[in-house]
Amino acid sequence: MATTAVQVGKGSGVLKSKSSSDDRVMRLFILVIGGYLVIALALPLYAMFSKSVFNSDGSFVGLSNYFSYFQTPALVYSIKNSLFVGIITTLITVTIAFILAYGFTRSRMRGKPLFKTIAMIPILVPSLLPGIALIYLFGRQGVINWALFGNEIYGPIGIIISEVFFTLPHALIIIITGLSIADARLYEAATALRASRIRIFFTVTLPGVRYGLISAAFVVFTLAVTDFGAPKVIGGDFNVLATDIYKQVIGQQNFEMGAVVSVVLLIPAALAFFVDRLVQKKQVALLSARAVALEPKPDRRFDNIMLTYAIIVSIFILGILGMCQFAALFKFFPYNLSLGLTNYQFDLMDGGGWNSYFNSIEMASYTAIFGTIIVFYGAYLVEKGKGFGVIRGAVQFLAMLPMAVPGMVLGLAYIFFFNAPSNPLNVLYHTMAILVISTITHFYTVSHLTATTALKQMDAQFESVAASLKQPFYRTFLRVTVPVCTPAILDISIYLFVNAMTTVSAVVFLYSPHTTLASVAVLNMDDAGDIAPAAAMGMMIFYTAAGVKVLHYLLSRGIESRTQAWRISVAN
Amino acid sequence: MGDVFLRIENLTKKFGNFTALRDISLEVFEGEFVCFLGPSGCGKTTLLRAIAGLDIQTQGGITQAGRDISVLPPSERDFGIVFQSYALFPNLTVEKNVAYGLESRRARRDETSSRVNELLTLVDLVDQRVKYPSQLSGGQQQRVALARALATSPGLLLLDEPLSALDAKVRTHLRQEIKQLQKRLAVTTIMVTHDQEEALTMADRIVVMNHGVIEQIGTPEEIYAAPASEFVAEFIGTMNFINAAVSGASECAHQGGALQISDNSIESNRAVRLAIRPEDVRLLSVSGSDQPNQTSGQVISVEYLGAFIRVTIQPAGWQEPLLVDASTDLANELEISAGGTVNLSLPAEKILIYQEDS
Repeated sequence: MATTAVQVGKGSGVLKSKSSSDDRVMRLFILVIGGYLVIALALPLYAMFSKSVFNSDGSFVGLSNYFSYFQTPALVYSIKNSLFVGIITTLITVTIAFILAYGFTRSRMRGKPLFKTIAMIPILVPSLLPGIALIYLFGRQGVINWALFGNEIYGPIGIIISEVFFTLPHALIIIITGLSIADARLYEAATALRASRIRIFFTVTLPGVRYGLISAAFVVFTLAVTDFGAPKVIGGDFNVLATDIYKQVIGQQNFEMGAVVSVVLLIPAALAFFVDRLVQKKQVALLSARAVALEPKPDRRFDNIMLTYAIIVSIFILGILGMCQFAALFKFFPYNLSLGLTNYQFDLMDGGGWNSYFNSIEMASYTAIFGTIIVFYGAYLVEKGKGFGVIRGAVQFLAMLPMAVPGMVLGLAYIFFFNAPSNPLNVLYHTMAILVISTITHFYTVSHLTATTALKQMDAQFESVAASLKQPFYRTFLRVTVPVCTPAILDISIYLFVNAMTTVSAVVFLYSPHTTLASVAVLNMDDAGDIAPAAAMGMMIFYTAAGVKVLHYLLSRGIESRTQAWRISVAN
Repeated sequence: MGDVFLRIENLTKKFGNFTALRDISLEVFEGEFVCFLGPSGCGKTTLLRAIAGLDIQTQGGITQAGRDISVLPPSERDFGIVFQSYALFPNLTVEKNVAYGLESRRARRDETSSRVNELLTLVDLVDQRVKYPSQLSGGQQQRVALARALATSPGLLLLDEPLSALDAKVRTHLRQEIKQLQKRLAVTTIMVTHDQEEALTMADRIVVMNHGVIEQIGTPEEIYAAPASEFVAEFIGTMNFINAAVSGASECAHQGGALQISDNSIESNRAVRLAIRPEDVRLLSVSGSDQPNQTSGQVISVEYLGAFIRVTIQPAGWQEPLLVDASTDLANELEISAGGTVNLSLPAEKILIYQEDS
C-alpha cells in the first residue's frame, strides 16, 4: 500500500502534553531543590570569583589581584609544592592500593574481610590525625625517628605519608570495583590459549582495570592537592595552596588574596573532576556487560605473598591509629609514659572543649538527616520527573559541581556570600545551620551519584504503571521507591554523617564560638601546642564514626534479612 | 464489530530530525483485539506510548470513547498497561500489586479484597497471593501484571511486547490465556509485538507497520493471504519472489520464461515482482498435464520440518531457487531427494503481483 500524500496534522504547531497535577507538584519541588543548590553553591562561588577581582575597598581592580599573586614568589611556590605532593601521593597510593586490591580480588588469602575493614579506617578519621601520629612517631622526640635517617618529618615527607594514609581507602574502593568486573570467561579463554600468568596480567587484567586506575589516580590527586588537614599539622614551612588560603584569610585577613588562591586551587580540582567524569562513563559501559564472576584459584605461594602484603599495609594503618591513641593516653610524652585520661579534659584547653564534640554529633546528625532527604529527593526528581528538561539538567549539573570544589574554596565562598551585610541570608552566618548547609553541599556529589545509581536500577516503567493506575507519584515514591532504595539511602546518610564528623576544610571558616566542632578543635589544639589532647579528640571522632558504621552495618543486615524475600529480584 | 472506540488521526511523532511515526490514522473498535506488528524500529511501541500519553505525539489527535485525549497526561486517560519487563513492584506481594490501583479509590477494604480475589482467580494465581514477584516464574509474574492492569476495569488494555521475555512454551500457553481473557472481558486491547505468530494467533485485526507508516490493516487471514505490499508479503510468513515484467494480457516474462497471472489490468513492460507462498506451489507427478505455469527443476536440498517438508528447487534458467512445501506423503510418493528432478506448477490465481513504485 503506497503511502498517500502526507497531510498536515490539525494545526502545524508541536503538541505539548497537558501537565498533570503530579507534574506540577514535581516541578515545584525541583525548583525548590534547584533553588537550594543555587543559594548553597552557585551564588557563593560567584561571590568568590567576583571577590577576586575587587580590592579590599570594594572597587573593581580587574585581574590585578592575580598579577600581584603571581609576583609573590612565596605564593607561587605553593603551586609547585601542591602539585609535587599531589603527584607523588598519587603514584604511591595507587601502587599500594592496586596491589592490595589485586590481592583482595585475585588471591584466596585469608582474612579478606578483616583487612578490607582495616583499609577503610582512614575514612573515619580527620586528615589531621595521621599528621599528629607522625609527629609522635618521627618528630624530634619521636618513638622511631631514627627511621628517617636524619630527615625532617615536618614538610613534604610528613605530608605525603599523611596523604597516602588519608587517600588509600578512596583509591582502594575504586580499584577493587575495577578489578571485580573482570569476566571469568576471558581468563578461561586466555588460559585455554596457554597464556602465561604474566601475559594474562598484561593482556587481560590491566586493560580491564585501566579506567579504574585512571579514575583512582584523579581522585587521589584531587584529595591530596586540596587537603588542608595534613599540611596544616605536619607541613612545617612547606606551604601548599590549601594552607595559603587559610593563612591569607585567617592569618592576614587578606580575603581578596584568599579568593585568588581559591580560584587557582579550583583549577586542578575542576580539571581532575572533568577527566574523571569522562573516564567514569567508560567504566560504566564496561560494568553493564554481562560477565561471569571470577573465582580465584588457590595458589599457596601467591596467597601468602598477598597476605603478607595486606598485613604490612594494615600495620601502617593501625600503627598510625594506635600511635594516636597512645599519644592521647600518655600523661606527658615523652617524659611520663604512664597512661591516663588527663588529655581528655578538653574543657581545660582551647578549641571549645567537650561542647565541640557534641556540636559535631549534632551537626553530623542534621547533615545526615536533611542531607539524605534533599539529595535523594533531588536525585529522584532529576531522574523521574517529566518535562522541564532544562531545569532538570541544570540541577543535575549543580549536583555534580561540588565534587570539583575543594572544601577550603567552598568555605571561603560561604564567608563572602553569607557574611555580606547586604545579603538577607546573613542571619545564617555563625549558626549551626550554615555548618550543616555547607557540609551537605560539600559532600553532595557522591551522595547524589549513589542515589542516582540506585534509582536507575529500578524498572523505568514503575512510574508509567502507577500513572495508568491513577496513583499520585508520592504514593509510589513512598511505597515502592524508598523501600527498594533503602540500602542506598542508608549508605548516603552514613556517608554524610562520617564526613560531617571528620571534615575540617569548609567548616574551618564558618564555625563560631557557639558552634565549635570536634575536627576544628583538633586543629586548634594542635595549633596551640596541645598535641596530645588533639590526638585524643581525633580518636573520639574515630570512635564515633566507627560506632556509627557498626550501627549502619547491623541495620543493613537487619533490613536485608527482613526484605530478602523480595530483594533477590532487585539484585538480579 | 461495535462502534469506534479509539480513533487516531494524522498522528506524527518526531524525535529531533528522526520521524518515528508519519501521519498515522487508525480506528479501533469496541471490544477488539488489535496487534501492532512490525520489525524493531518501525514505530509500533512509539504509537502505543502515544496512545498511553507516555510520550506525547508531535502532531495529530487521539479520541478515546468520544473524548479527545490527545494531550492528556497518562493519569487522566483510561487504560491499563502491561510491559515486557512486567514492572511489578518488587517489595509488594502479589495481592498488594493487584490492589495497587484500587486502594486509593476510597473503596471499602472488603470490596478491594474481593476484587483482588476475583482477578487472581481470573489469572489462576489465588494460591500465590502472598508471594513476592521474585518468587514467581516469568509467566506467573506476567499474569500478575495483567491482573493489576485489569483491576481498575480500564476501557483500554495496552500490552507492550508482554510475551517477549518468556520461554517458547510459556509464551504459547499465555498467548491463549490472554486471548481468552480478553474475549471474556470484552476489553478493547492493543498489543505491540514483533512476533508474527503471536499477532496471527491472537489478533482480530493486525496493523503491520514499517518505517513509521502503516503498511496494511486487516484480519490475520487478509494479511497472510493478500499482503498489501511487498514488505508485508516478505515480513509475514515465507514468500518466493520473482522479478519479472508484464509482457501481455495476463502474462509476465522473467528470466526463466513466461508466467500466466490473474491480473490483466497492468500495462505492458511494467516491471513487477511476483510472489508465491511455498505451500501454494504444486509438485506434480507427471509433466504435460493441463496445469498452467509448469516447469521442472533440480532439487537442491530437502528440509524436514516435522509435519511437512520444505524443498529448495532450482527451476532451469530461473534467477533464484524456489521454496516449496509439500506433505511428507507427497514427498515420498514423488521420491523427492536432493539432486533429483521434479515437476512443478505455479497456479496463476495464487501469484501475487507487486508493482515497483513509480
